Amino acid sequence: MGSEDQVFNLMKLLDDGIKQAETIESKLDSYDKILQGVKEQMEMMKEKDTLMSVRNQNHQKLLAELENLVKQLELEEKYSSSLSNGDLSTPNGILDCTAAAQQLQRCQHAAIHPALKKMGAAEEQLRKFNQLASSFSKRLSHYLNNLFIHQGNEMGETLSRQSSDLRLPPHNSSHRDLTPYTELMAWLKQSDRDAFRQLTKVYTNNLSKLYVKEIQFFLETAKQVAVGKGDKSRLNISGGRLSGSSASLSTPMDAKNRAGSVHSIDSASVADGDMAMRHLFDQVFDKVLSELEPMCLAEQDFCCKFFHLQSGVQQAPKQSDVIDEAEDTGDIWMKQKPKITIQLAEDDSYPREYIVENLGEGLTSKVPTWQLRQINDEIRSLLTDLFPNLQDDLDGFIQSSDRQDGYYSMYMLVRMNEHVANTQDAGSFLSVTFASSLVKIKRNFDKFVQQQIKTIEENKVSKKAKCGIISFVHTFEDFANQAEVIFRNSERHTDLDKAYQKLVAAIFGSIQRIAAEHPKTPKEVIMMENFHHMHSTLSQLKIPCLENEKKEAKAKYNEYLSAYTKERLGRPLEKLHVFVEGVNAKMNQGVKPEEVGFQLAFSKTELRKVIKEYTGKEVKKSLENLYKKLEKHLSEEENLYQVVWVSMQGEFIAQYKSYEELIRKCYADSNITLEFTIDNVLEFFSNIAQSH
Amino acid sequence: MASKAKASQPAVIHKVIMVGSGGVGKSALTLQFMYEEFVEDYEPTKADSYRKKVVLDGEEVQIDILDTAGQEDYAAIRDNYFRSGEGFLCVFSITEQESFQATAEFREQILRVKNDDNIPFLLVGNKADLEDRRQVTLDEANQRAHGWNVPYVETSAKTRANVDKVFYDLMREIRSRKMKASQQSNGQKGKKTKKRKCTIL
Repeated sequence: MGSEDQVFNLMKLLDDGIKQAETIESKLDSYDKILQGVKEQMEMMKEKDTLMSVRNQNHQKLLAELENLVKQLELEEKYSSSLSNGDLSTPNGILDCTAAAQQLQRCQHAAIHPALKKMGAAEEQLRKFNQLASSFSKRLSHYLNNLFIHQGNEMGETLSRQSSDLRLPPHNSSHRDLTPYTELMAWLKQSDRDAFRQLTKVYTNNLSKLYVKEIQFFLETAKQVAVGKGDKSRLNISGGRLSGSSASLSTPMDAKNRAGSVHSIDSASVADGDMAMRHLFDQVFDKVLSELEPMCLAEQDFCCKFFHLQSGVQQAPKQSDVIDEAEDTGDIWMKQKPKITIQLAEDDSYPREYIVENLGEGLTSKVPTWQLRQINDEIRSLLTDLFPNLQDDLDGFIQSSDRQDGYYSMYMLVRMNEHVANTQDAGSFLSVTFASSLVKIKRNFDKFVQQQIKTIEENKVSKKAKCGIISFVHTFEDFANQAEVIFRNSERHTDLDKAYQKLVAAIFGSIQRIAAEHPKTPKEVIMMENFHHMHSTLSQLKIPCLENEKKEAKAKYNEYLSAYTKERLGRPLEKLHVFVEGVNAKMNQGVKPEEVGFQLAFSKTELRKVIKEYTGKEVKKSLENLYKKLEKHLSEEENLYQVVWVSMQGEFIAQYKSYEELIRKCYADSNITLEFTIDNVLEFFSNIAQSH
Repeated sequence: MASKAKASQPAVIHKVIMVGSGGVGKSALTLQFMYEEFVEDYEPTKADSYRKKVVLDGEEVQIDILDTAGQEDYAAIRDNYFRSGEGFLCVFSITEQESFQATAEFREQILRVKNDDNIPFLLVGNKADLEDRRQVTLDEANQRAHGWNVPYVETSAKTRANVDKVFYDLMREIRSRKMKASQQSNGQKGKKTKKRKCTIL
């Protein structure tokens, strides 16, 4: 039973163990509870920490935003004082104001969130800016307004004092004066459209008055110079600008010589006085166009930039041309704009599209499309306002010149065409103006040609005994010689060609009319002489389009030379001639040669009767009379005696032979011969030659 | 305008006659001189008259050119225009011996009609551009010219070589002849008027 104790002990031990274990367990439980509390606290702390850092960040962002806002909306004191009091008349003042205005603009258009603009402070600041801007815009407008008016007046005053050289006063200096305000104008354009528009109007109003006066004065001077009043040296053709065209300014004499005919002086038949006047006018007209061109271009260029009418102009090839050209006119933009794109203009790889502009009256002008695009309607209308009378004044000059001398229209046509073709900016105001004038000039030229045609068609038959060369044949020679010199190398030669054809047609027609109407000179002589002269003139001119007319003239000349020869040669042996004609007529009717003699009117007796009338002495006398008639009919000037006489001699001998032949054939065994031999005839000819 | 044109016609007129056989290039020379043109196709001339104003040594004069037929059945027909000429260009072709021989006849007739051994006269060898077809040597032409006491010039109407020269040289001869004649006639004025009176009587 010891074992019972042992079991009991064991049990007790076990109970102890359990108790121990329970104590440990309860301890562990209490630890566990403590740990639970710590965890909760830790979690709370973590949450608080996150919140704190968010707040921190937000504070920082807010600070930055506010700093930016303040920076954006802050205008330094010096700027705002420049804006309200800055001196607009000194370069430094202008620079300050320009910088200030730019700063102000930056502030006004600051990149801030729209919501922020609702902030009281921001609102207030922006309101302040707007006030500043509007007061500055007023101040600037007022100042520029006065400046424009002042400039207009000042230059107007100097106009009357300027020398009477044929030139337009340059506007470089006034442009130079205004240039510093360019950036301010840009600012104004952005900030105050109305003020800008108003200012533009003031500028155009004042300057247009000035330009109108200048151009009228200039054109008036040009008229004076062109009619030779006053000093010709006024024309002042200096090398530079005119050098390009000076080659074509050479006198017609030079031109003719250069053309190759060594000493020919055909064109000199026109009175030297007329030629000198026309030459002078040509120079004056070229000068007028050459003066107007740079003036308009400079003004256009200035306005483009000053009023900021074109965007991205620097890239435009056209613009570089202007810059390029401006070099010699002391251009005001040179300092500011870098020359960048000059090569572009000559770049052949540049797409060359053209728009062919039809100007009417058969005139066209080729305009590259890339140039056309550059031309802005705004600029054109501004220029139209600036030069309101240019078109009328120029047209007036053209018309009054045209009234002075119809030949002027030819010079003007060629010159104006040159200027229109060489213009650097097709489609610009000036080009449009010139093109419109060109159309009018072309009309004048057509009228001039029409007038000449009328003169030709109304030419009265002269009452002189000898008709000779009709005046309009000479006139055409002079006209063509001059016109060839004027139109040499001109594109407008096609217009001249058309005129030639009309004129020559009128001349040919009128020669025939006068030939038929002339009371004394035979028709054949008038035709022969005048067509001979026309042929000679046309041969000398060598105008390709008149090749057919030249041939026609030659054919007409030959036709009437032979007609005249035949007509007159009927006379010396008239009865014999009539007799022979009759015989020929019979034979043509079918009568056999050997039977002609049996016809009553053509019997041998009749033939003998006729032949008897023409003894050698008679024939000699009538040949002498014929030669005298020839001298009476033919003109000294065309000098065709010898030609006609040779033709008549030849024809007479041919007739003689044909009569002999006819007699031999029709009256074979009758032994009838003419009363004179061929040797007699030759002797008569020699005698006539000796006695003249 | 017509009156102006007429008024400006030079007072001095030199009358030149082209002579020579057919086809030697008389018309070609004339047309080249007048209009600077050369026509290839040949068309025989009957007679044609040309007139041109030129500057001869600074003086404005007029040249009248009578271009004549080379082929004429009867020499007498030429009498009249030979008589009207003040100077002669006697043309042959260097490629044709016959045309060279014919110049002698022309010369003879001119001297007979003009009755003047010193009449302005140039012997002209045309077609000088056709050297490879030459039949008339420079020597024989020069010799003949020397014998006649006249200048000899070779020309080409085709290339215009010496064309102006022959016309201008001839005009100069005509001019100097006229000057001599007027000096003489001034000197013999009295004599002449007397003579004329006689004929009237």
